[in-house]
Amino acid sequence: MDRRAAVVGVGESTYYRRGDSPKTAFQLACEAIRNAAEDAGLALRELDGLVSYLEPLVVPPKLAAALGLQHLDFSAQTWGWGGNGVASAVAIADAAVTSGYAKNVVVYRALRQAEKERFGRSEAVPRARGDYAYTAPYGLVSAAQINAMQTRRFMHEHNVGQDALAEIALASYAHAQHNPRALKRGKPLTREEYHASRWIAEPFHVYDCCQESDGAAAIVVTTAERARDRRKSPVPILAAAQGLDYRDGVGAFNELHFPTAHYRRVGELLWQRAGVRPTGVDVAQFYENFTGCVLMAISEIGFCEPDEVEAFVSDGNIQWPDGRLPINTSGGNLAEAYVHGFENVNEAVRQVRGESTCQVDGVELSLSVAAPGYAPGSAVLFCRE
Amino acid sequence: MPARWTLPALDPHNRPFFTSGRLALQECAKCATVQHPPEEVCHSCQGTEFSTLDAEGRGTIYSFVVVHHAANPALADRVPYTVVLVSLDDLPGVRIVGNLIGPSPDRVRIGLPVRALWEEIDLEGETLLLPQWQLDEGADAD
Repeated sequence: MDRRAAVVGVGESTYYRRGDSPKTAFQLACEAIRNAAEDAGLALRELDGLVSYLEPLVVPPKLAAALGLQHLDFSAQTWGWGGNGVASAVAIADAAVTSGYAKNVVVYRALRQAEKERFGRSEAVPRARGDYAYTAPYGLVSAAQINAMQTRRFMHEHNVGQDALAEIALASYAHAQHNPRALKRGKPLTREEYHASRWIAEPFHVYDCCQESDGAAAIVVTTAERARDRRKSPVPILAAAQGLDYRDGVGAFNELHFPTAHYRRVGELLWQRAGVRPTGVDVAQFYENFTGCVLMAISEIGFCEPDEVEAFVSDGNIQWPDGRLPINTSGGNLAEAYVHGFENVNEAVRQVRGESTCQVDGVELSLSVAAPGYAPGSAVLFCRE
Repeated sequence: MPARWTLPALDPHNRPFFTSGRLALQECAKCATVQHPPEEVCHSCQGTEFSTLDAEGRGTIYSFVVVHHAANPALADRVPYTVVLVSLDDLPGVRIVGNLIGPSPDRVRIGLPVRALWEEIDLEGETLLLPQWQLDEGADAD
């Protein structure tokens, strides 16, 4: 990993509360990619690679046709059940451009959560198969419920209180108040409102759970050499990692290291490849599917011991502008928009460029961590050129 | 859960667990590794022949979730309900999900001793015996 690839463009569609988008997911993806290409100063026909994760609808051949790509020389997506692929999708783009399979690779994700496709709902299935047969019959069917099971045990083992979860939500909401794109702008959250809010699945209040949104986000990745010709300063990919420990891919809460967010191995690989320590990171975006899982990811990737995580996130330590590690500075999944976490990659890039609405001073290292609790985890570390 | 809620799709690997009225866990016929949930391949020796090992049916609550928001309308009149993750006393590496039958959600704690009982459900002519859990009042808390 030696900064051979860089992000040269970021873009997004308009973000909407779920169900409110007049556009389809495909149309939203096209809007985001057009904006990312324009940001990069590239014509659409110059894009030649398309990468995503868990993307069922917006498929590269049709997207390439719709956008007028001259050639589609590379397309791929990463494995996993959720936003755990956010950063490994960026890693695929890095690998594609540095090995010469394509020149300008777009990484994108688009969501439109129509009533039948809401992430917060579970369709009733008469029969559950595989690992799901061991959870669904007991009414454990939504992501919030499944992650609550992990978080409850983590809180028990490491003496983590409800206020630690609140800190994650409060940071996202505080940062969103500065971000014109954020769906929760103008809707600040207080600690009292957090604690008084309804339960979804204990220990998760409604404010512990990501929004359901409609929108798309995209970046353009190219080689560091080509990146110099682009409109704005390139944002090099210093390192990326995907990882999973021994027997942690097992289902129904029987992972060897349960409860785990699947970030220990990711941290080992990331810091080794980057040649830096977590203490060098200036700003971080942590995919917030649920606040408790963010606490697990923060500690597993190496910022602190799990027993110290409540102190790590308390006393304003993760809030811009004065916190020692501001996290989720756009408002993230909780308060900007839930674009399956890809909006957090755009924000990590913007922090290096100096374009964030909660801009941290003198950013040298900007981290984006993908979804916790789904295997394998992934993370990407951007740096100043 | 409601009468018409999701039930396991029975297959050769999970049929003993869901129909025998015992905590019949998958055991590798070659190397005796016990793994749960059952898998198509033994994770120790990659064997594909399995027998079962019956766990005693006693354990402790390892984690739990009190569900308040029904993620599906079919569960709307069941909330709040409690889902527990039970660590087995005789096989502590094995954790089993179930509902805690009986006590109100505010009595649930990690470390409480529980024992298995079976919920009988008719599944297209076959009797399903779904493992569930109740507080083991006679046992000491962990």
